[in-house]
Amino acid sequence: MKRLIPLNEKARSLAAGPEGQTDGEARLMGNIVGCTTVFDPGWEVDANGGLSGLCQPMESDLYGCTDPCWWPAQVGDSMNVDPEWTDGKNSALRDWRQLQTLFPED
Amino acid sequence: MKYWIGMILACCALTASAKDFLIVASRPNDLHVIDLAARKVVHTYRIPGHGIASTISVAPDGKVAYVLTDRNESISGIDLDSGKQVFRADMSYANVRVKSMFSIAVSQDGKHLYVYELPTRLKADEYQVMHTRIAVYDTADGVGAKPRHEFPAPRRIGLLAPTSDGRLMALGWDVYLFNTATGAIDKTFPLRNWKRKGFGEPDILDFWPQYEQAHMMSTPYYVPRTDVDPKSPEAVKLGIMTFDLDTDSMAVTEVGNADAGLFTSVVNPVNKHEVFAVMNQLYKIDLAARKVVQRARVHRTYYAINISSDGKELYLGGASSFIAVYDAQTLQKKAEIPMPGESDQGASSLRIVRR
Repeated sequence: MKRLIPLNEKARSLAAGPEGQTDGEARLMGNIVGCTTVFDPGWEVDANGGLSGLCQPMESDLYGCTDPCWWPAQVGDSMNVDPEWTDGKNSALRDWRQLQTLFPED
Repeated sequence: MKYWIGMILACCALTASAKDFLIVASRPNDLHVIDLAARKVVHTYRIPGHGIASTISVAPDGKVAYVLTDRNESISGIDLDSGKQVFRADMSYANVRVKSMFSIAVSQDGKHLYVYELPTRLKADEYQVMHTRIAVYDTADGVGAKPRHEFPAPRRIGLLAPTSDGRLMALGWDVYLFNTATGAIDKTFPLRNWKRKGFGEPDILDFWPQYEQAHMMSTPYYVPRTDVDPKSPEAVKLGIMTFDLDTDSMAVTEVGNADAGLFTSVVNPVNKHEVFAVMNQLYKIDLAARKVVQRARVHRTYYAINISSDGKELYLGGASSFIAVYDAQTLQKKAEIPMPGESDQGASSLRIVRR
């Protein structure tokens, strides 16, 4: 990263970060590695880094995550990027096998 | 005189025969009216446009349900008798995309709709994040309504509730009490910014409004103790925050150790010291005794909870495709009401109207 030098105004603004921000708002989760690489056993972990505190069954929480864009990197984002991902699949528990893997368009 | 006696008797008869109905949404964009006594869905209305329907707000007269939909960019008002869309506000305009993260509320007189908006200007090479605000709509403006006025609001607000004196309570990192005429924040009740000795910052995940029965907004919160060994079971506490919408007063009460997750809670309208909360377990909490008095496992996760007008039944919903009915005294399951087509409720509200 030290070898990347901003050359124009936009790049400089990105390098400098948001103006006036003195306190970082993003916080790291203390989670295990790998939960985003597979659909089952899950895309999230509980407060103890495990699964027992998650929703039961785990599929019941899927649309509660996709619809409000809660885990946009881990599951589809029905709000902006992948609005048709769950079309016709109104029960996650029944229909989750029909949900397709998502790839960036470009 | 006869006329007035007749009117009074008619009103008494109406009150006596009034029943609780549950208003809930499910995928892809449906609004359901559930007769709780009959344990069945009596109306299913398709909301025009894209889904997904989520937050619902209904004025005390129980006539129109205002529903956040269209990928969180529109509010649709659905007449609960006819299913007709009688109000519509599409928030995005020109190159400004406006979404609301579950924060809508209709005033107690049903005349105004408050919406917490997150606008973003979509420029050719940049998304310009604009200031968050609360838009005020007149519900009488019907389909195509535009805000009558707007005022700035802090970021991270996830829940709105109207107070009896015409103000607006907003739950964010702190609780704000807005003057809806001027937009001024009349009072801030600190949560994340509280300075309680021995306590860290509270953590709240709650965007399910369910305050209509007791006129009290409540939510579980989790808070670390700073004066306890972090490995101790006492290190993180479960608490209940309540905001009385009649007196504009807030209270926080720790009720036990944080040994299980809870999403939402509801106050018993006939005993305001009694609170019920749910996620993977159902809790009965006595605020006066400052403790959890009863717990029961539920068959699946429920995001949201509400309660009957007589305080005797609990309704659990959200996440998957069932409404469960539990006895408030024993915490035993009494019935289950499936959503049509097994459709998931996701983040839908669970609202009660009495008609």
